[in-house]
Amino acid sequence: MDKVVACQTCGLVQEVDHVPKGAVVKCSRCNFQIFHRRVGSRTRTMAFTVAAGILYFPSNLYPIVTAEYQGQFTQTTIFQGIRALWGHGQYFICSLVFCTSMLTPAMKILGLFFITLTLDWKRFQKTRAWIYKMIRIVDPWNMLEVFLLAICVSMVEMGEVATVNPGRGVFSFAAVVVLTLFATFTFDPRLLWDTPAERKVYE
Amino acid sequence: MSEAIHHMPKAKIQKDALSWFFWTLPVAAAGLCAWFILQDFVFAGPTITIYFQDAQGLQEQNSMLRYRGIKIGDIESLKLAGDKKMVEAKVKLSHSAADVARQGSLFWIVRPQLRLGQVSGLQTIVSGSYIAVQPASGARTNSFVGVAEPPVVVPPGIEITLLANNLDSLETQSGIFYRGVKVGEVTGVRLDQNARFVVVDALIQQAYAPLVRSDSQFWNAGGINAHLGLFTGLQISAESAATLVSGGISFATPEKLGPAATNGSIFFINEKADPKWQSWGPLIPMGQTMPDAPKIKTSMPKISPQITE
Repeated sequence: MDKVVACQTCGLVQEVDHVPKGAVVKCSRCNFQIFHRRVGSRTRTMAFTVAAGILYFPSNLYPIVTAEYQGQFTQTTIFQGIRALWGHGQYFICSLVFCTSMLTPAMKILGLFFITLTLDWKRFQKTRAWIYKMIRIVDPWNMLEVFLLAICVSMVEMGEVATVNPGRGVFSFAAVVVLTLFATFTFDPRLLWDTPAERKVYE
Repeated sequence: MSEAIHHMPKAKIQKDALSWFFWTLPVAAAGLCAWFILQDFVFAGPTITIYFQDAQGLQEQNSMLRYRGIKIGDIESLKLAGDKKMVEAKVKLSHSAADVARQGSLFWIVRPQLRLGQVSGLQTIVSGSYIAVQPASGARTNSFVGVAEPPVVVPPGIEITLLANNLDSLETQSGIFYRGVKVGEVTGVRLDQNARFVVVDALIQQAYAPLVRSDSQFWNAGGINAHLGLFTGLQISAESAATLVSGGISFATPEKLGPAATNGSIFFINEKADPKWQSWGPLIPMGQTMPDAPKIKTSMPKISPQITE
């Protein structure tokens, strides 16, 4: 194990003594956490991914918005919204919404789950790296804002005549986006090339 | 090399308190899902099936079941029943309204209705039709046959039969008037067995029942009475604006009171009123059948004004 570690926040290179189990190392200058590898990276990423995976189902099965207008009651799930966009001939917007709100979260969850689960395997090492790269590329496209904006707009526009309420789906969806965000953030990519023995040391 | 390390600052080592915390997230997520499922399946009310002759105005997923003005269920699906003579509406009741699913409960569809002298269900023009319910307290059941007309609450009163040569403008819900006050209404019209008379069934409200005596005179008060006289000019009179459009029957009771009419008493409707009848002014004790005026108790504090000198 290397004795020298650079702080990722202020860049100070410093010496690290033996770290007992259940302890963290703080930078002597800026007091931010420093590490050889992100602490508990693998289990934390897995925890976030599992939580996101569980919530992915309600986010797609329950309506994201419910509207009541003079006793008329409508509720829309993400998929129904996508189908409506397709029906209106908005193919570009439709595919964009489909990719950012259904496909990407699913791929991210599956990818992270695969990486964290198969980390100890000798096989798929290149695949894991590739998946991680793809996740980092599509991450900014995970747009919660699109839907938030749509809901806010409809609330403002229809507030006078209709009651628009966020449904169960939108809360779950927001949770999925935030959880997958944290899942990628906590994952230390250096784990991808560490050998199982090294990983044990850094844990 | 070891000397270089010697001059380096040393990192601080602290206890990590948060390592278990992350596994609460999947637990919380699973808990949330469990709560959703619990709400949908365990705390949900029963799904009932209502058969209607005609479900015009109802929409799947969109229409609702209402009681006392609030939504107590959603219409999940509408489809033809097996024999194609009925429409099968599946309604998911909310948890608090599960008690509506009892034998004897009546379900009907509220649609906008325009009739002479009566308008109802106007709000459904914009909101769409909905199913209304009048709950009963029979045994629990999940299958109902909807009724075509909203159930009419029959107020207590006496039912009398009136005979007329011609129906004129009378119809169901035409009023029965005494001195211009509506005291009852027509509940049904039909021809008698030999088609000699028109039989008009009428209900006089309990409170006004003493007004009808065995020798009361009834006349048709519908339409306009026009009288052209040499000295009086044109006289036009109508009983009320309501009788103008939907017809009505008036009656008068002579000063020498006969026995009170009972259920099934039969009277004849005269075509025109005799002026003599209108001058009758009997004193009829209304007794205690008149509904009491609601007593309003006020909790106003008694303020005794204090006059300062």
